Amino acid sequence: MNFVAPDFMPVLPELFVLAMTCLIVVVDVFLEQRQRHITYGLAQLTLLGAALLTLFSYAQAPVTTMFGHYIKDAMGDLLKLFIYLTSAAVFLYSRDYLRRRDLFKGEYYMLGLFGVLGMMVMVSAHSLLTVYLGLELLSLSLYALVAIDRDSPIASEAAMKYFVLGSLASGMLLYGISMIYGATGSVDLQVVADSVANQGADNLVLVFGLVFLVVGLSFKLGAVPFHMWLPDVYQGAPTSVTLFIGSAPKLAAFALLMRILVEGLGALQGDWQQMLVILAALSMATGNLIAIAQANIKRMLAYSTISHIGFMLLGILAGTPDGYAAAMFYTIVYVLMAVGAFGVIILLSRAGFEAENIDDFKGLNDRNPWLAFVMMVIMMSMAGVPFLAGFYAKWMVLQSIVNVGLVWLAILGVVFSVIGAFYYLRVVKCVYFDKPEQNEPIEMSLDTEIVISANGLLLVVIGLYPTVLMTWCATALLN
Amino acid sequence: MLLFIALIPLLGALLPLWAGGRRGRDVSVWTTAAVTAASLALLLWLSPVVFDGVVLQANWPWLPQLGLNFTFRLDGLALLFGLLITGIGLLVILYARYYLAERDDLGRFYALLLLFMGAMLGMVLADNLLLLLLFWELTSLSSFLLIGYWHSRADARQGARMALTVTAAGGLALLAGFLLLGHIAGSFELSTVLAAGETVKNHPGYPVMLMLILLGAFTKSAQFPFHFWLPHAMAAPTPVSAYLHSATMVKAGVFLLARLFPVLADTDLWFYLVGGTGLITLLFAAYAALFQHDLKGLLAYSTISHLGLITLLLGLSTPLAVVAGVFHIINHAVFKASLFMAAGIIDHETGCRDMRKLNGLFKYIPWTATLAMTAAAAMAGVPLLNGFLSKEMFFAQTVYQAAAGGEVHWLLPLLATVAGIFSVAYSARFIHDVFFNGEPINLPRLPHEPPPYLRAPVEVLVAICLLVGIAPAYTVGPLLAIAATSVVGGPLPPYSLAIWHGFNLPLLMSSLALIGGALMYWQRRRLFRLGDRYPPPDGKALFERGLNLGIAATRRLTEGLENGSLQRYLALLIGVALVAGVAGAWQGGELTGDQPLPPVDLLSLLAALLLVLTTGLTMLWHRQRLTAIILLGGVGLIVVLAFIRFSSPDLALTQLTVEVVTTVLLLLALRYLPSDALPESMPSRRLRDAGLAILAGIGVAALTWGGLTRPLQPELAEYFLATSLPGGGGANVVNVILVDFRGFDTLGEATVLVIAALGITALLTGGFPLPIRSSPRVVSIEERWPLLLRMGARPLLALTLLLAAYIFLRGHHLPGGGFIAGLMTALALATQYLAGDFRWTTAQLNLDYQRLMGGGLALIGFTGLVSALFGYPFLTSAFTHAHLPIFGDFEIASAMAFDLGVYLVVVGAVMRILLELGQANAEENGWKP
Repeated sequence: MNFVAPDFMPVLPELFVLAMTCLIVVVDVFLEQRQRHITYGLAQLTLLGAALLTLFSYAQAPVTTMFGHYIKDAMGDLLKLFIYLTSAAVFLYSRDYLRRRDLFKGEYYMLGLFGVLGMMVMVSAHSLLTVYLGLELLSLSLYALVAIDRDSPIASEAAMKYFVLGSLASGMLLYGISMIYGATGSVDLQVVADSVANQGADNLVLVFGLVFLVVGLSFKLGAVPFHMWLPDVYQGAPTSVTLFIGSAPKLAAFALLMRILVEGLGALQGDWQQMLVILAALSMATGNLIAIAQANIKRMLAYSTISHIGFMLLGILAGTPDGYAAAMFYTIVYVLMAVGAFGVIILLSRAGFEAENIDDFKGLNDRNPWLAFVMMVIMMSMAGVPFLAGFYAKWMVLQSIVNVGLVWLAILGVVFSVIGAFYYLRVVKCVYFDKPEQNEPIEMSLDTEIVISANGLLLVVIGLYPTVLMTWCATALLN
Repeated sequence: MLLFIALIPLLGALLPLWAGGRRGRDVSVWTTAAVTAASLALLLWLSPVVFDGVVLQANWPWLPQLGLNFTFRLDGLALLFGLLITGIGLLVILYARYYLAERDDLGRFYALLLLFMGAMLGMVLADNLLLLLLFWELTSLSSFLLIGYWHSRADARQGARMALTVTAAGGLALLAGFLLLGHIAGSFELSTVLAAGETVKNHPGYPVMLMLILLGAFTKSAQFPFHFWLPHAMAAPTPVSAYLHSATMVKAGVFLLARLFPVLADTDLWFYLVGGTGLITLLFAAYAALFQHDLKGLLAYSTISHLGLITLLLGLSTPLAVVAGVFHIINHAVFKASLFMAAGIIDHETGCRDMRKLNGLFKYIPWTATLAMTAAAAMAGVPLLNGFLSKEMFFAQTVYQAAAGGEVHWLLPLLATVAGIFSVAYSARFIHDVFFNGEPINLPRLPHEPPPYLRAPVEVLVAICLLVGIAPAYTVGPLLAIAATSVVGGPLPPYSLAIWHGFNLPLLMSSLALIGGALMYWQRRRLFRLGDRYPPPDGKALFERGLNLGIAATRRLTEGLENGSLQRYLALLIGVALVAGVAGAWQGGELTGDQPLPPVDLLSLLAALLLVLTTGLTMLWHRQRLTAIILLGGVGLIVVLAFIRFSSPDLALTQLTVEVVTTVLLLLALRYLPSDALPESMPSRRLRDAGLAILAGIGVAALTWGGLTRPLQPELAEYFLATSLPGGGGANVVNVILVDFRGFDTLGEATVLVIAALGITALLTGGFPLPIRSSPRVVSIEERWPLLLRMGARPLLALTLLLAAYIFLRGHHLPGGGFIAGLMTALALATQYLAGDFRWTTAQLNLDYQRLMGGGLALIGFTGLVSALFGYPFLTSAFTHAHLPIFGDFEIASAMAFDLGVYLVVVGAVMRILLELGQANAEENGWKP
């Protein structure tokens, strides 16, 4: 039996990341603790290299390779670029935090890069199998990352919960995949799409498959009622890991929905739209309502994530190109906000002190006005205040569902963003109006300061001139 | 040009910040004033064209794909508001310079003020709904920062937050409303929307949309029941109150009503919602104003009341009511701004705003008192002042409505008169309590006349009050006309702006109001007692109670939903999946497919029953680990039977060996678990879990049924069956797939197996803590290693190895292969360790398993490389036949070497893991490696 080599060129960024990660694993073994910054540098270099490779091969037209299991298209490439970008920011923000906690180990970067690889595979998946592989690679890296601080009981508990629930959800996803395969005879998304379009929603196996797929996907997204793991994990994991979980994987999750629901099961849109409506409404409601009661800011942001996922689902369930573009724009903007928000949290933490309560942000303006400003921009953007990026994100998804006639859902979304605005603004109030409870100076290295500033300003820039990103999203989804 | 009117203050907001930092206070005043004056000059320069009835428009594309463009329009309404904003803005800038203390940061104040001014101007000039909304939100934000300007004060922070919460919430409602409006009208451009009045009003979405938009407008304009934020926003510095809460921001709501008047107004719903809200607000706030002891609180409630009046007028929807409404917007802005400024002067000079202490100030500050009294008289609607005119028009409108009959009759003029009485009464209180009524009580300091520049803005405004009041037609006439025209969207009916219309009903109502108000004030003590007993409801307390209730409710929700229990999460996950599955099934479609099932034979049935029985027992005894593991092994063995029954001997063989090895592994790993059983969970929870398990089981069974009754996808199986022998040189498809078709995968899997074994080694060598047990029982050799087992095991090794070799060799054609052979070998070796002394066996066998695995992996890799050497792709296979006695004819394929690699890896890895686990066991018994 002869082995036909597929075209490896489109997969080059993935191969590069894989090779570099393996290299880093080996190099790291021979490094002493004080040389660990080499590992860090190599990890950043990997992301940079992958970014360059992706950028120079930016897809003009979709190309499939690996026997149809992999696709390189503009949507994937754009999402990947943002995955590299946010992951690089995550690595940077985490560096000092990890160092102060004796967690500055090769494993963090190795698992992080494997996670990035998993996301890349998800983003470029063109078959249910690749989707699953990427998802599991990411999930397994995340399970391990959550438990990276082995001395922390709360982190171990969170990791355990995440793992058990995540495995169950993976099982359901796999179950769904196998049913789709049973009904269509293929895992290739194109073939699945054609077959589904031919037989329609009458086939019960197909419907069951869809149900289980949506259950599995919702779990990975953290949509209510499959969100239970999210707050515990966000709170329990070391902040550097929460930062990672809370950012780039959302981009991959968006791709996941696009690939499976839109590209693969587009013909069943009527069925999954109903499910997503329920998920979105519940997520927006539960996320925003529960967030109000949180005193822990990581937990609050966890619920805020849930509500943002609800909003992102709105764009997808609209089922129109505009809606998809809106959802993509939303996801990218959200990820930029989340990285920034957790970045500020991580910068406020010191050795032996975790800034995880909202009270820890009191009087930040007196301690570091610039960081306070960045935090205000991020919070307001999350709340959807005009002239900031978050506003257009909300606006676009709302508009897209109004255009398909789901006015009540749009109104529900608005109502819950009003409720959401309350707790974001509470943070702003803490930052600006309250007296500081501690006066330790905030230590930041120069590169961190530059990046977090750029992060905050980016939201303002997108807010003032969102056209560029919107156009990218719209054109990326066109081909 | 239009763009710059709003842009100048927005960009100019940076100037005072820059100036305030290093230069003196005056520089920042002058820059701010210059910026404002520039905007005002631009407006005035453009105004002649507007007075000619032209609507100026300007358009810069910004986000065309969102329907959001920088389009501005300057019509009468926009011009009126623009002049108010910039004109009063200039006065406020001057006033604030002298009002704010030395230590206050003027630069920041002016920057915020300009930001707000720019936002307001942008809002009134916007010709695009979205743009309007953006500026609308910006006014909320900048006013939040302005109200909280003295952010060290708790009441300022609270007031600011409440104002922001309410207005921002309204803003988001507005967003939803605009979304709908734009959707209905087909565009977000105001010019298009304004022309689409009929379409919009007949659209089924009109009521929802109207309510959302009104929600936005009412929160901003502090209409009942959203009025409560305004009195608490009085914690702001007075210049802010004078600017935001009299002339500009609170007018944004009525501006919006006026702006969208042609599209939304003149329906029953509009009449009842807008008119009703206006009427309630007018009455309620006028009543509440009377009981305020805080000077600014009185003014705040009076503002709310006057806003209600304007809203009511707009709600009446007749062109003349609109004229009256617009007229009152101007008048109210002028007299209320001057009143706020006067109140600020009093506060500034005395350090007190409580009307129970402020008495008899007239003799200390006669000139300011005169000004304030004139303005208050305007507020009360005394003739010769501007307030009288618009109030007269308002009364006339209510009478007209009553005369027109219909749903409203005599009630409207009556209530209007009542509101007028209250209004006169609180104005009288403002005048009499503060400036007369005996001597001041315990004031922090006795006042004297303020610096002339602090008073100058008040003088200007009061002069306007008088001028407009005496000669309305010559002063505001034209402006009022064009503004009202652009609101109505058509020609206005004739009206007269004279003071004297002869004796008529409105005049009677005015007189009644004046007399009644005076009477009411005269009887105020009795009224105050009444007010103390039945205080007007405090919106703030309600707001906060609501807030706390909400937070408490969400906290309960959190506890119910997120108690951190994994069991509950799992139950929820499975439960929801079940519901989703059932919901999916509900949609219809046939569960049973058309594939007939094979007949059930007795043996299979028995095996199935046994399977159910063992599984059930495992569940039942899962706390006794040893029993549970053995039972689990039993389940596996029945599965082996099932494989045999359905004629897949290869799988059966694999399953058999794997089952045995895993059972042994599990038994060894058992040592690492604490021996005491876990506490049982509550019966209720067990019931829940049992229910869920049964339901989920039924669900999965149904799905399996659905799957079994559908035809298989035969393509894959057929492909492999067809190509196995010609392509891979073997008849055993499973083995050929493993070592040939998917050789690459097997290479990967073998590597993973090696890594896992090494990982376990690494984990356990570090000294994995065993749970502490009671001291090991001393046992004799005979009891530990029974003789029979020891003796039996040795020949068994030879036999098993032989069997393994056989299985291995025939593997390519018949059931068998390297994987199974490897497991068998490992088992045989493990038996030796189990049967004999660990140390002795280790010494006897003398095998380095690590090397074994390494060698196996290398062999696999090498096989692949050989084919590469011959110029074929990696892992291409080649085969030939060979004949050995006894074994018979068998295949020598390059895959054979590959399979040998697999064999070695399996043996090495399994033994490595077994030994590591067993070693700890042995160490406990005093054995040292």
